[in-house]
Amino acid sequence: MMNRLIAGGKHFFGLHPPGRNLRVFPDDVFLVSYPKSGNTWTRFLIANLVYPDKSPDFSNINDLVPDPEAMAKRDLERTARPRLLKSHQYFDPRYPKVIYIVRDPRDVVLSEYHFDIKRRAIPDDFPLAQFVARFIRGEVNHLSGTWFENAASWFYTRRGDPRFLLVKYESLQSQAMEEMERIASFLGIATDREQIAFAIAQSSADRMRELEKKQAHLWSSTRETRKDKPFIRSAKSGGWRVELPESSIAEIEGAWSGLMREMRYELSGSSLVGARRVHSGLEDL
Amino acid sequence: MIKHLMAGIQRGLGLHRPARGLLILPDDIFLVSFPKSGNTWTRFLLANLRFPEQPATFENINRLIPDPEGTAKRDFDRMPRPRIIKSHECFDPRYPRVVYIVRDPRDVVVSQYHYHRKLRKIEDDSPIEKFATRYLAGETCPHGSWGQNVATWLYTSEGSPRFLLLRYEDLLADTARELAKVVAFLNLTAGPELIAQAVERSSADNMRKLEKKQPDKNELMKGSRKDLSFIRAAGSGGWRKDLPAPVAARIEAAWGPLMQHLGYELSSPTPSETSQVPGVRSQENLMARLS
Repeated sequence: MMNRLIAGGKHFFGLHPPGRNLRVFPDDVFLVSYPKSGNTWTRFLIANLVYPDKSPDFSNINDLVPDPEAMAKRDLERTARPRLLKSHQYFDPRYPKVIYIVRDPRDVVLSEYHFDIKRRAIPDDFPLAQFVARFIRGEVNHLSGTWFENAASWFYTRRGDPRFLLVKYESLQSQAMEEMERIASFLGIATDREQIAFAIAQSSADRMRELEKKQAHLWSSTRETRKDKPFIRSAKSGGWRVELPESSIAEIEGAWSGLMREMRYELSGSSLVGARRVHSGLEDL
Repeated sequence: MIKHLMAGIQRGLGLHRPARGLLILPDDIFLVSFPKSGNTWTRFLLANLRFPEQPATFENINRLIPDPEGTAKRDFDRMPRPRIIKSHECFDPRYPRVVYIVRDPRDVVVSQYHYHRKLRKIEDDSPIEKFATRYLAGETCPHGSWGQNVATWLYTSEGSPRFLLLRYEDLLADTARELAKVVAFLNLTAGPELIAQAVERSSADNMRKLEKKQPDKNELMKGSRKDLSFIRAAGSGGWRKDLPAPVAARIEAAWGPLMQHLGYELSSPTPSETSQVPGVRSQENLMARLS
């Protein structure tokens, strides 16, 4: 009862994070991705492009590109418009403009594994293969769905829509300038290559590592996590080839081959050996 | 300010409608569809099956098979489990088990057009062509467009053992047979007699009678025009008569591949690839895979 009254009071003052109940404005732009797919990096890239005078870092990124899961309703409604918002939500028909970042699920699971160790969700020695199985079943990020569900729910509803921009994490790494030009033009920002180059430099993995060292205690996603493990880890793609067990690669590819192919993620072929299909829906037709 | 305070007190007492904040339990069952796709009928069918001791009416249906947008949180917490819950939401990974009802989008647009007239959301003589444009863009309700709503569920969940797809048209053609599928999916204990009773109690005639007796007992029609009924044709294929051919063609151009996948025959030769509807290009690949 007491808890309920406190929740009621919090609601009254707008101090609760609204999450999926966020009030959406028609000029909102959402930066959406599955967790551990480069969302924070893209947040920095865009914040450095749009608000270069604010010197984006871990102390103010939540104000510049707010997260409805972490920020109070009141603050979200006070954010200057048009708002740029971070999200890990599966398809939401209310989001007007969406930049969707997709990353190879074989790298996503590795990143999530290390992050979950950092945030003490699993112990240091938790078996990776077991973690991958949980990841595929959607038990790791229950509120975002599985990697497949999250990406499919956006991709198959919005692809081709002029208000939807699909960005691959891997392309952002290999050709940051070109991808950032696409993003700038999608956002309708007048910018030049110099400004983009500045934003890219300000958001480099090295610089973000430096910032993390100084500011990990200032940011909601790192505040209460282990200090001996970094948030900015390898910041690379393809690590799965070395780190993931063969059987785990096969499991992921077996479960999500249709969408992975659609996203041009080359399959290693190991999925043909003893892989189990999770869904035999439309993607397999 | 006062409004905020009231909302806070309501929340403290559990009188607010939980909407997306609904606490989902692991044995919950969701009855999901795009609006105007037979959700209310199926709700009655399942309520009459699950609670045979009290025939479903427009007055008690919000308690028997509650709606997170229309039923108080307190009532949700008091329900016997497993709960069967109504929803029009697009894909939600938290839903443990889902019965998804799909209906021919050409009939859905006609149904929604008349429903919006009844709710006074549109003028009586507003052209259906204009309504269809908003319908295709997903602007007639807060649950996405028909194509988006259906796509989010089919692409993510079709083939999953936790997902049962029902076509409204099949429900009409053989209600008892389709209901038996639901019984098996939900592990309910219901023999042919109970199923027959649920079908009878949820017939269009009976629901029309209930609507006449209780025209204001449900959020679905509270304050709406009484000269138009909520239970309308309760049939399928009405679009062939009621929908101008160009409107049907636009719907087919937008969602043709999905419609074909669901077994809805197209009236125009092939979906146009030059349509202006958002999301159309997203269907091209699907089409390639379907052909």
